Amino acid sequence: MRFTFRKGLKTNTECLRGPVGEPSVQTVAFLGADYPGVVFDLKVAEGDPIVAGQILCVDRRRTEVAFVASAAGRVRRIRLGARRRLESIEIACEGEAYRSFDAGPAAQGSDSLRELLLQSGAWAGFRTRPFGHVPDPSGRPHAIFVTATDTNPLAPDPVAVLAPQRELFQRGAEALLHLTDGPVYICQPDSAPLVPAQDRMRVVTFSGPHPSGLPGTHIHHVIPASRQRSVWQIGYQDVAAIGHLLETGRIKAGRILSVGGAGLADSALVCAPLGAKLSDLVHGRGNADAAQLLSGSILSGQRVEYLRRHDLQVTVTRRDPPESLARTFWQRQLDRIRTPQTGATLPLEGFERVFPLDLCQSPILRALAVGDVETAERLGCLELLEDDLALLSHLCPSGSDYGMLLRRTLDILAQEQAA
Amino acid sequence: MNRLTGNMPRPWDSYRVTLATAVALLPAVAVFIARHFPAIVAPMLLALGLGLAWPLLFAWLRRKPLRWDGLLTATVFVLLLPAGVPLWHLALALSFGLVFGDLIFGDRGRSFLNPATVGLAFLLFSFPGLGTEPSGLTVTLAAAVGGAILLGLGLLSWRVATAFTIGIAGPLLMLGGIEGLEAMTSASLVLGLVFLVGDPVAGASTNAGRWVHGGLAGGLVVLLGSAGDSAGSLPSVVFAALLASILAPLIDQVVIFFNVRRRARRQSNV
Repeated sequence: MRFTFRKGLKTNTECLRGPVGEPSVQTVAFLGADYPGVVFDLKVAEGDPIVAGQILCVDRRRTEVAFVASAAGRVRRIRLGARRRLESIEIACEGEAYRSFDAGPAAQGSDSLRELLLQSGAWAGFRTRPFGHVPDPSGRPHAIFVTATDTNPLAPDPVAVLAPQRELFQRGAEALLHLTDGPVYICQPDSAPLVPAQDRMRVVTFSGPHPSGLPGTHIHHVIPASRQRSVWQIGYQDVAAIGHLLETGRIKAGRILSVGGAGLADSALVCAPLGAKLSDLVHGRGNADAAQLLSGSILSGQRVEYLRRHDLQVTVTRRDPPESLARTFWQRQLDRIRTPQTGATLPLEGFERVFPLDLCQSPILRALAVGDVETAERLGCLELLEDDLALLSHLCPSGSDYGMLLRRTLDILAQEQAA
Repeated sequence: MNRLTGNMPRPWDSYRVTLATAVALLPAVAVFIARHFPAIVAPMLLALGLGLAWPLLFAWLRRKPLRWDGLLTATVFVLLLPAGVPLWHLALALSFGLVFGDLIFGDRGRSFLNPATVGLAFLLFSFPGLGTEPSGLTVTLAAAVGGAILLGLGLLSWRVATAFTIGIAGPLLMLGGIEGLEAMTSASLVLGLVFLVGDPVAGASTNAGRWVHGGLAGGLVVLLGSAGDSAGSLPSVVFAALLASILAPLIDQVVIFFNVRRRARRQSNV
């Protein structure tokens, strides 16, 4: 199958390729916010020495789902937020110790493969649609989507990143076939197929401006997700990591990320473990301070300290000019007029030009903004995750963060379904 | 709520939308003032005063920042005002439009009507037998320039504009041939298209709905015009815009119904 989109935002930045740097990462962190809907049970304490692949915490409701350390070292700090919810586990990296898994039985059967993926933390690479949760250990999705496209500005080029690890990727993709009775879709740019297509392994190409590379766009056009039909999505580097795990019995926590943006002279690829501290990644590439660093692209990125689980890029924004110096007299007078933080959604035609999904986006945005959960569901918000709305949040004059509003709505819907 | 994501400088915020609309209004205002200089000063000042006072009152009552859209509403209202309207008529109608067309709903964007449309409809309804509205080809051209600016910025939907033009030109051609199209050069008609019918808040919010809404407004202009003075006269434009924007949410619901049904079918087929 082949899809070409005309709608979208044309950015003048291409995918990044080229030599991969190895910055020295001092700190990595596990972030609770990466897994919406999970209540964590800690398995480590502050000060514990740990090895890469060791279980840090598990899901309280589904204890088989484990979350593991991406690097060896010592637990420096465990941060709890409101209602004692786990916010982050920070690990000071030292040494190369790792936990070995027995990948032998996994090659045989589906149950032992599941067991291996769950124990090694690779399971957390999957996200379900609807809701964007870590899937159930026993769940069998209708389809699995491997996202090997990335149209975010300054994202790494998936084809170039996968070129040296083609076989691992293929091995991981074949393993996915054991997890579903339905097809596994490899969504990739318009180039030579990354894996040979077979009966249940299907290659779909997508081209066009952003958001043609987002899994939401792919899933909507190939097999729309709904309450009755759960679909899983996984990133291309996570699939290669599964292949690596099956091959060697070691987790592969390193991801190839792009570091770029207006605040840096030049962009580059780096290899760093999951959850790496962002300031470590840009160390030695100009003096960016923490306020300039985003995990993710400029559109959907978040100002956080550590790399989020599903992000493959770090964006360095332009430095904000110092408040008092940069403003002229007239600008200061203008600043005195209070500006509305968020306003009402203005249903502009421009929204349709950047949204290649067959959904009524202005009504969805309105339903999300007023918290009308039923209408939002009827209009198809179950097919969406936060990233899919980043472009609309960017364009909407109201200044609302529709990704955050969508997350709130999805959480309510997920609770209703669970109850 | 604070934004967590989205750090690219945004192309639009609510003030920029207001500012862009004001810029698009400028040519029409300049031509209009040049044509009607001394007579226009008092109504203009009164309207602008009201366009500031009512939003200020509501902003103060709600403890929200002031929005400047009331000034635009007042300007559009004055541009479309029939000649010789007493000032108290103007004040009453504009106040009604501002308050019941916009402010009681909350921010701009929460209402489903254009306040200038509501005010003008109130005026025409309550005080029938008003003089002719000011017209002139230069005003038409200036309004068209404003429309082009808004089209270029994407604030005026080209679908609405096209459908509106087709909705008028079709019936006019059938009724009166080529000469019938002369009605389309009326200043009220172009101003009404750009600032009343084309207001994104008062229109449909889906692409299919925009076609229907624009076409409906155009057709209604001809229909109401043939019942009254002529197509393109002020009452026909104002009431067509009002009826079309009242129907816009219904049009959207129909479009949404078909969208939901189409997606449900795909769900069961794929």
